[in-house]
Amino acid sequence: MRRVACAERADWRAKAAACGFGFHTIDDAPYWDETAYYAFSLREIERDIEAPTEELHAMALDMVGRVVGSERDMERLAIPEGFRDWIAASWRERAPHLYGRMDFAYDGTGPAKLYELNYDTPTSLFEAAFFQWQWLEDQLAAGALPAGADQFNSIQESLVEAFGTIARSIARPFRLAAVRGSTEDQGTVAYLRDCALQAGIDCEQLAIEDIGITADGRYTDLDDQVIGCLFKLYPLEDLFREPFGRHLPRSGLQLIEPAWKAILSNKGILPLLWEAHAGHPNLLPATFDDGGELPRGWVRKPLHSREGANIAMRLPDGRELATGGPYGGPCIRQACQPLGAFDGRYPLIGSWVVGDRACGMGLREDATPITKDSACFVPHVIVEEARGVLIA
Amino acid sequence: MKRSRTAALLLMGSAPLLLTACNSDSEASRQGLYTSVEACVAATNDSATCKQAFAKAQQEATTEAPRFANRAECEANYGADKCTERNDGGGHSFFGPMMTGFFLSQMLRNGTAASGFNSAPAFRDSNGGWQRPAAGGGAGGVYRGGTGTAMVPISATPDRAVTVSRGGFGESAGSRGAGG
Repeated sequence: MRRVACAERADWRAKAAACGFGFHTIDDAPYWDETAYYAFSLREIERDIEAPTEELHAMALDMVGRVVGSERDMERLAIPEGFRDWIAASWRERAPHLYGRMDFAYDGTGPAKLYELNYDTPTSLFEAAFFQWQWLEDQLAAGALPAGADQFNSIQESLVEAFGTIARSIARPFRLAAVRGSTEDQGTVAYLRDCALQAGIDCEQLAIEDIGITADGRYTDLDDQVIGCLFKLYPLEDLFREPFGRHLPRSGLQLIEPAWKAILSNKGILPLLWEAHAGHPNLLPATFDDGGELPRGWVRKPLHSREGANIAMRLPDGRELATGGPYGGPCIRQACQPLGAFDGRYPLIGSWVVGDRACGMGLREDATPITKDSACFVPHVIVEEARGVLIA
Repeated sequence: MKRSRTAALLLMGSAPLLLTACNSDSEASRQGLYTSVEACVAATNDSATCKQAFAKAQQEATTEAPRFANRAECEANYGADKCTERNDGGGHSFFGPMMTGFFLSQMLRNGTAASGFNSAPAFRDSNGGWQRPAAGGGAGGVYRGGTGTAMVPISATPDRAVTVSRGGFGESAGSRGAGG
């Protein structure tokens, strides 16, 4: 694994505009950054990222099966009582899921360590699945990359295949919703809609704020059609506590991601996985937080927090790092595994799972060891290692 | 190769994003439930696709139709003379409803059908309702494990209802959105 500086494509901003990638620059700060890329060997990808992702995914799904049968575990995950039976039913029926992202600390020297599962509302999808892919094709065509360079990225193919596979169990009409004011979320949903359309599924996009409710507790779009299935790029735990949320269990609405994802998008899954698989090379030690002082070498994270918010970190040398944010409530502790530094940047690996397949990767790097929403997306390539030959 | 062979976009970037529920005029898709190839051609004017969709649905009907141990159970659900004996290929026979129609959905671009389609067999139950098999796809695809042969109703016309209130979702979102 190396970080390699390279020249940007002269026309990448025009290309971004042409494909609707409107959030490559956020609040005047660059988000898409192609002045460098990360290079991996095929062995690093297959042995260290792809295989552990598939294994952890299977372990996580097994854990869902355990948690839905345990009031105690549901309690530890702070899942509201009124939603527990509904969540369990969605698992029993195997309500279809679409995608998720695992975040790993990995620097090429040891096993990848799982930071968390983003299994409910993962973003950075379009840039990983499409724009990163296009970058590779362009740079290969321009001769700017070693011939034969590849990328761990069949995300888009897998998304279209997944939509095609679950097409017949998606209730119609099918709607996709995200927060109105977020360019990034709207872009992510527009991309998912594109993939669904490519799989032959008719669907429309609407703002989550525009969803309506009927007198008998069903959800409607702006045309007063009762929504059959809703893809929501919006946290399940927020839906649960908002004014319309109480209707969810009896509304007949199908959700993607489904209700059972509330167990996996919850950082409480990390101590549960550690309890069941202590010592697994890809897991970090984790416990539920008792509220006491954080020992050296541990990190505190709320059960629900996104984009690196409200994280407290006490490094092994005693230094403390913390991020602000809007999240509170119960927390977990996880052993501190600082990200490796490359040229003063700290890359975090996002490993994508579509359906049940590990199918791609995106890297975001920040200037600090906590990856926040200020992180930049940097593309990657797979190159064959030079064998006894130095290629300058 | 560990990357997508191709990655194209249908609509993204080609049109301004419209946040309305009902803008399916120029693009989107065409879906229909047809009781014969002729009915399909009359609606779509696309004889080749209709024939392919019919053949594919007929093939799937033998594997994905609901299964009953005997004719009486099947007929109780699908009506007299609507069931047939089938074989699972492993020497076990069972009864299932006959395919009474097929479902076809196609992407449309500027009013003409794009390549590719989705089709499924449809069965009419004894109450007159239409059904099709739920998720197909056995093991080996992007999903691990098959998904059985549950049936889902086909509703030809969207269900409309009076909306009494809007805005009950979304208040937790910050300006930076809700994803992560």
